Amino acid sequence: MSTFTLNNLCYSYGSRQRDVISNLNYVFEDSKVYSIIGKSGAGKTTLLSLLSGLVKPTKGSILYDGNDISKMDPYRYRSNYVGVIFQSFNLLPHLTAIENVVLSMDISGKKITGKKEKAQMLLNSVGLDDATAHRRILKLSGGEQQRVAIARTLSYEPSVILADEPTGNLDGETQTGIINIFQDLAHKEGKCVILVTHSPYVAQMSDMVYELAVKKD
Amino acid sequence: MYLLKNALKSISRAKTRNILIVIIASIITISACIALSIRQSAETAREASIDQMKITAQISVDRQAMLKSVQSGDRTNVLRNIQGISLEEMLSYAKSGNVDDFYYTLTSSLNSDEATVPVDTSEVTESTEDLNTQFEGMGPGGSRRGFAGMGNQGDFTVVGYSSHNAMSTFMDGTCKVIEGSVFAEDTKEPDCLISDELALLNDLTVGDTITLINPNDEEETVVMKINGIYHNSEAAMSSGGDMMGFNAASDPANRIYTSYTALRAVVDNSEANAVVEVDETTGREISTALRGQEAGTYVLADATAYDAFQKDAEDLGLDTSIYAITSPDLDDYEQSMIPLERLSSYAAYFLLIVLIIGGAILVIFQVFAIRERKYEIGVLAAIGMNKRKVAAQFIAEVFIVTFIAIIIGTGTGSVISVPVANRLLQDQVQAVEVSQQTTMNNFGGGFEGRIPGGAGFLQGRMDGSGDADYISSISANVDIVVLLQLLFIGILLTLVSSASAIVSILRYDPLKILSNRS
Ligand SMILES: Nc1ncnc2c1ncn2[C@@H]1O[C@H](COP(=O)(O)OP(=O)(O)OP(=O)(O)O)[C@@H](O)[C@H]1O
Ligand SMILES: [Mg+2]
Repeated sequence: MSTFTLNNLCYSYGSRQRDVISNLNYVFEDSKVYSIIGKSGAGKTTLLSLLSGLVKPTKGSILYDGNDISKMDPYRYRSNYVGVIFQSFNLLPHLTAIENVVLSMDISGKKITGKKEKAQMLLNSVGLDDATAHRRILKLSGGEQQRVAIARTLSYEPSVILADEPTGNLDGETQTGIINIFQDLAHKEGKCVILVTHSPYVAQMSDMVYELAVKKD
Repeated sequence: MYLLKNALKSISRAKTRNILIVIIASIITISACIALSIRQSAETAREASIDQMKITAQISVDRQAMLKSVQSGDRTNVLRNIQGISLEEMLSYAKSGNVDDFYYTLTSSLNSDEATVPVDTSEVTESTEDLNTQFEGMGPGGSRRGFAGMGNQGDFTVVGYSSHNAMSTFMDGTCKVIEGSVFAEDTKEPDCLISDELALLNDLTVGDTITLINPNDEEETVVMKINGIYHNSEAAMSSGGDMMGFNAASDPANRIYTSYTALRAVVDNSEANAVVEVDETTGREISTALRGQEAGTYVLADATAYDAFQKDAEDLGLDTSIYAITSPDLDDYEQSMIPLERLSSYAAYFLLIVLIIGGAILVIFQVFAIRERKYEIGVLAAIGMNKRKVAAQFIAEVFIVTFIAIIIGTGTGSVISVPVANRLLQDQVQAVEVSQQTTMNNFGGGFEGRIPGGAGFLQGRMDGSGDADYISSISANVDIVVLLQLLFIGILLTLVSSASAIVSILRYDPLKILSNRS
């Protein structure tokens, strides 16, 4: 069963602008880790935005479990089915790491007991200690913020994880730890993991690689 | 509810701004609280006094209307020929279904014989004339300027009443019979009530008689029997410094009360025996008959009945170009309400301005707050929080802050609204009094003030329009109505100030917000 099916997917940021994405026909399945690679400006972030329902295709469609996502409630879709780790993290700077994670669980509306404990556990699993977990995002380093964003996405257990350069700010050791988490999510928990990356190492560790080319006018 | 939790967190995060908003909203609430309680107490005062008021009305000559209706050349003539409305006519209008009761009086002015001395506090006797001209301006209370052909003024004012109900000063307790009893309602006998001061001055007791003389004919005497002695509680207070001291007949102590029938008989008899002369210079007839002034009082259930009665009387044939129906009670009441009514309408404008300015300030605050929080909105939307929920959270924040302000404002407002309202009301009373005074002076003393009051005049009300009883203090409690109105204002402020936030939240595109940021 394929999680995502792209049908001639096209996208441009304005009716007079060129297509950033044109005629993609990718398939993403569960229990696999995918890497999307390509030069800067190739449209990788744009593709993740499309998959997460933040923008709608200008042509073609994206099916999620056979349903056109542009016809689904975008909020429910984002807060329950897909977890997005944005390139710029999109954490709330005034909240602590734990609060950010708990907020996502709140928004998902899922019945989760012991949200705080779960948040703390997840933050520990991505390598953040309790003291860091209680600090505000403003006071965390880029790499720490990145890991909070990952923990946040895992907290409400979405069946798809979309991550924009999740290891961009991490050292080799931490990077390996994170990749292992993603691999476990795909292989042990049957989730579909889609990573955008510039790192050949990450690409090599994934089950499948798609390469986007920069479109010229 | 995580919405509420988030809202509270956001509020405590933006402390400075929210404290500022609380201060502004509190000021709005305090102002609104004062304005609303003023309006509320004006409303209560209006209802309370109109409810317990028994309205009396009189028909009198409307000089202004008369003068307007004729050519300028004829005006002097018209004024001279003014006739008070006759009792027959007054009785015919009393048939209106809206009249609860009708009673009437006959007022006449007589002198005393040597045996009886009138109560006269005026020490000046020689220069009376100067004083008269000087005090002409004092207006309606001074009874010297009556209707045309009034004749000479006596020392005593004798009033004949058609019924005991007509004796308003006794009805309201100003006067009280302290010895003997009141004359019988319909008696033909010249039984009378005299004041305790007069009795004391002349050593008179119940059962004695007093002899009165027609001021126009010294030969004509009237003997009255004292049936009772009354005490006037207002006479003692008012005879001190004001003008009644200069004129014996206007001193309440020189008022003699009897039945209408008895006084009518005296006046009729005098008219039958009168001698009429023609004045050489003016060509006007001068009679030696005792003058009698009739006045009728209609009792009406309420203001509506009063309005209906005006219409009825016109239908029954009252010529409104000559006569006017007036109600001193209603006038007094309206007069007494002027400062409060003014304050009430100022309060309404004030409230409006405060709401507009305060509302604008709050909107501006919210607009800035939203701009600052654009990124937050974008993140919340990006991680799947419904925009409507985001908007709800923002409304909740504004509402909580406004609610705190309402509690503070209402608390403070309810404490200070009574003194502030009373302070403002007193300023108003003063302002009205000053302007009344100016008007009085402009008109040479209440030109329209009391002149139409045919019955009010001489009968016992000595209050000129200059010293009307204004409602000068209120108990402006913050009651449940005011509280509900404040709550409504709070909700209104919340909605207005969060409206801009809601609109921008719903319009925002999360991706745009986020990509603009990076
Ligand atoms: N909001 C936007 N409006 C207009 N054009 C945009 C917008 N966002 C991105 N683009 C353009 O679309 C193209 C693809 O952008 P995108 O962010 O998808 O690239 P990317 O592959 O993620 O690059 P990078 O590796 O640098 O993150 C770029 O040329 C970019 O300038
Ligand atoms: Mg990118």
